[in-house]
Amino acid sequence: MATKTSLTETGMEVLTNGQITKGLEVFEQPAGSKLLTHLNSCVHCGLCAESCIYYLTTGDDRFTPARKVDIVSSVYRRYRTFTGKNLPWLVNARELNRATTDEMVDLLFGACTMCGRCTMHCSIGVDIAYLVRTGRTMLSNMGMVPATLQSTVNAAVESGNNMSIPTDEFVATLQWMEEELIDEVADPNARIPVNETGARILYTLNPREPKFFPLSISAMAKIFFAAGESWSLSTKMYDVTNYAYFSGNPSEARLIAERLRRETGDLKAKTLVLAECGHGSRAFRWEAPNYLQEHFPFEVKTSVELIAEYIRDGKIRLDPEKIKDVVTLHDPCNLVRNGGIIHEQRYILKHFVPDFVEMTPSGTDNYCCGGGGGQLAMSEYNDRRMKIAEVKAEQIRKTRAKIVVTPCHNCVDQLSQINITFKLGVKIVTLAEIVADALILENEKK
Amino acid sequence: MPTLEIEGKAFSVDGDGFLSTPELWNEDVARLFAKYDGIEALSERHWSIIKIIRRNWEEKAMAPMIRTICQETGIKLREIYELFPLGPARGACKVAGLPKPDGCV
Repeated sequence: MATKTSLTETGMEVLTNGQITKGLEVFEQPAGSKLLTHLNSCVHCGLCAESCIYYLTTGDDRFTPARKVDIVSSVYRRYRTFTGKNLPWLVNARELNRATTDEMVDLLFGACTMCGRCTMHCSIGVDIAYLVRTGRTMLSNMGMVPATLQSTVNAAVESGNNMSIPTDEFVATLQWMEEELIDEVADPNARIPVNETGARILYTLNPREPKFFPLSISAMAKIFFAAGESWSLSTKMYDVTNYAYFSGNPSEARLIAERLRRETGDLKAKTLVLAECGHGSRAFRWEAPNYLQEHFPFEVKTSVELIAEYIRDGKIRLDPEKIKDVVTLHDPCNLVRNGGIIHEQRYILKHFVPDFVEMTPSGTDNYCCGGGGGQLAMSEYNDRRMKIAEVKAEQIRKTRAKIVVTPCHNCVDQLSQINITFKLGVKIVTLAEIVADALILENEKK
Repeated sequence: MPTLEIEGKAFSVDGDGFLSTPELWNEDVARLFAKYDGIEALSERHWSIIKIIRRNWEEKAMAPMIRTICQETGIKLREIYELFPLGPARGACKVAGLPKPDGCV
């Protein structure tokens, strides 16, 4: 697989005809398709501006979501409409040239977390986030994905996980966590099962867990242990992420999703459980059936839903006196606004956290942490990423919480950086971690 | 390419503040980068972590697993997060002069 680099790096200044043709391919859609309908619908009312954290924190008109839609639709008009072809100045139709693609990269990759809040606020229901993603696909077709983002996709495609963790190192980490688990639950039978065929659940991980933050692995293993679950991890395919969803490359996204689908089938699992990862949940559960053009022959759910079921069914018990601090919840955009998993995490927290405070706004209207859309991978936009984080920092501060729970490893990382940058003095944890801390184990119940 | 200036010394870094040329790293760079991130003085425990990260980078061209760091230094996992509040990647690897690792970090 060839490594893609941006044109800026290769020093090419002019787009080739081949690139332009590839870029315009995204518009090859039947009239009346979702894409063409939405591309032609923006009425420039401007209501989307204040839904966007980039606009809110900078006041820069360029960052208005409508402007991001406009750059994609102006190229569409130039090449696919009669007036745009003949009188481009009349309908603000833009040539697909280097100046246009530079601006597209800056706005669609560098100034959008694909959080979808603008889509919710659009006065006429334009799916703005979808149009941004289409713009990213155009750039991907032309080989213009920022190299920093593409390198995470390449790592996943080439090595099977987005941090290129060698299998022996992965296995050694799981063994280490298994020892810690045995220690913690004081039961030599506690396990982190690997490559077991026929286990009810195949569980997944975000590679940052084995690489740098394995406490969430032992936390989830402890929950599985307490629930008496039949589960396994796979060494062949455990990566829940799919950065090709962010880069806008459907064939790479399909390849990554296909591996997870195949491995779930090979291990004969009844349920694939997606780890706490917003975009990974979205890319597999809700987008992959489109990439793969099929319904899954097994059940797919997030660990958030699974933990809620364990509580509802009495499979795990939690100590309501364990967590004494004020706790708030950050809603990952892809899981909540875009995925509809809104109540489960609240059901879990309210079950055992005495002092739970919501952020304002929260749920489907929550603000993005600022790290979505692949922003954490793209170093070049770090300053902007910390600028837009002002909104989230303020939201957290107002709750007076000491613990911020979020069911997404990507959000955890952005929130941890926010915590230091804005001196919030809070603790950022995943849902599994706070639940594992409060678990009442069988041998303790007596 | 952005430049980071610490105590009058200029370093070429990426947007996240990771050193652009890992070969230019030395112990003074580590001290300055740590200070920039709010770690006033590097203790012996900090150094033992930094040295393992550095060695792994020189041998395998990647950051070590957190397991390697814990098992070779004998430092507990939770203490590593305390020593480097920005975490093993954005904290420790940056001080050790590595490029930013791929993925959600």
